[in-house]
Amino acid sequence: MPDLPKKKVGIVACSGEELPEGTVTRLAALKVLEQLRPADTVTICLPLFLAGGEGDRAFARFYPTVAVDGCDKRCAARATEMYSGKPAASVVVSDLVAEDGMGQPEGKRRLNDAGQQAVEATAERVADLVDMLLGKTAGQRAEVLAESVEVSEPEEAVQATCACGSGIPIQEVAVDGRVVTLIALPLIFQQFHQAGKMPGEETARELLEVVKIYNPILQEEEEDYAKTLRREYAAFSEKQEVPA
Amino acid sequence: MSEGRRKVVIVPCSGIGKTYGTVSREAAYEVTEDMRPAQAQLVALSLLVLGDEEARAAVAGSPAVTIDGCKLACATKMVEESGGTVARDFAVLDVYRRHRQFKPQGIAELNEAGHELARVLAEEIVAVVDSLSRDNGGEDA
Amino acid sequence: MPEFLELTVDKFIFKVATDCYYNSEGVWAQAEASPLPLGEGAGVRVRIGLSDFLQQRSGDVAFAEVQPEGTVLAFGDEVAVIETIKADISLASPVTGRIVEVNPAMEMAPEVINQDPYGEGWLAVIEASAWESDRARLLDPQAYFLEMRQEAEEEAKRL
Repeated sequence: MPDLPKKKVGIVACSGEELPEGTVTRLAALKVLEQLRPADTVTICLPLFLAGGEGDRAFARFYPTVAVDGCDKRCAARATEMYSGKPAASVVVSDLVAEDGMGQPEGKRRLNDAGQQAVEATAERVADLVDMLLGKTAGQRAEVLAESVEVSEPEEAVQATCACGSGIPIQEVAVDGRVVTLIALPLIFQQFHQAGKMPGEETARELLEVVKIYNPILQEEEEDYAKTLRREYAAFSEKQEVPA
Repeated sequence: MSEGRRKVVIVPCSGIGKTYGTVSREAAYEVTEDMRPAQAQLVALSLLVLGDEEARAAVAGSPAVTIDGCKLACATKMVEESGGTVARDFAVLDVYRRHRQFKPQGIAELNEAGHELARVLAEEIVAVVDSLSRDNGGEDA
Repeated sequence: MPEFLELTVDKFIFKVATDCYYNSEGVWAQAEASPLPLGEGAGVRVRIGLSDFLQQRSGDVAFAEVQPEGTVLAFGDEVAVIETIKADISLASPVTGRIVEVNPAMEMAPEVINQDPYGEGWLAVIEASAWESDRARLLDPQAYFLEMRQEAEEEAKRL
């Protein structure tokens, strides 16, 4: 079963200015974003996230996010949880430094050698977590705070796959009396079901946000689509077994 | 400086998506570490927003100067929403418009022009810090 | 307020106003009624600006230099140059005609292009001399949406 297209991992770094470890998070996150995993990651700007950045919050709600914090105050992890949902994974630099027996990072503007070493180690740890969250590596999961969602085979055969040849499932639904083809809908329903989302108004709204990622929907038609998704997801859920 | 006089609080956005965020961060460090360490202190925006007691105490009753990378003005908005009083807000983009020769580049590492822009911005902030400190009955550095 | 088509790629949401036409670069054109009385050569007034996709991809606008009022342009001539942190971008006019109005915000507050690209962030108004044939060369909102989506997805893969 193919995965949803363009799945990426959001990286949210605390960038805390008051400790060298904050600078470590910033540089480590940028290293992952620009050098180690540029095709697999998206930066979540923490101040914009806190101030209500719609795109950042929506992304963090529906895609796995790695929080990179300098210290136990865990601003990045807490902010992510507050506004979008628990991060899929979390790294705390002060813990990593202690674990690996590294020297103490110093210098908030210009990190010392120990600080640079911490940047490298943090970046590698984050890159490993990105790989794991994208299903690129098997094995031990370090510091995962939430279980990743696995896509299982559906009970019924999927209606069709996208004509573009990508193999991504599509589904036809009725929206306000007309038939519409929605890309990736079966996969989206499966992911929601596995995440334990119950059919209802709130879930329908969340479904709409994800569906919009893969399908253009006019603003004026969103209510109609939400009604359709609520109905279709309820029907889908009835056909699934209750997850253990 | 007399004991008990509160420092001006400097809050940069430190946005990670654009070079302007790094300029805001660098300018904040220049002010609080190099130019006016006795009169100004840096408070991390996320600590303030997430309710850290020390951060909240720092902004309560102390004027804040915010440094935003761009016109989204996240630092200004969130300091106000956290109950702080923004005495003056700076946008790096505005400062760049007035000093077009210092085009900043780089997020992890600023280019030379970016450092120059941060320095120019820091000088403007220092003028405000001095003015606010005088209002508080203090002395300039 | 126009309706929008929306495309989400990663954390970015790109809106396409459905009451405009677009050139391939992402400059939009929206026809208005001309205020000029007949006899003075009434023409269609067309307002132009940057699409949401173009402004997001370009970055924060630091400077916007629009050709002055009175400038006569052919379709495809440079109508403005915007400078962002990422690049200096020359914008081609989607309209043949004479510039009759330039947005005064471009001088002191060009960031309005980023904040409200289909509203307050307009660049100029052009009195079009060949609007019907120009419009035939532009993309309607659905066609622009598809081009934009392809470009956005290719950029996301390239990263």
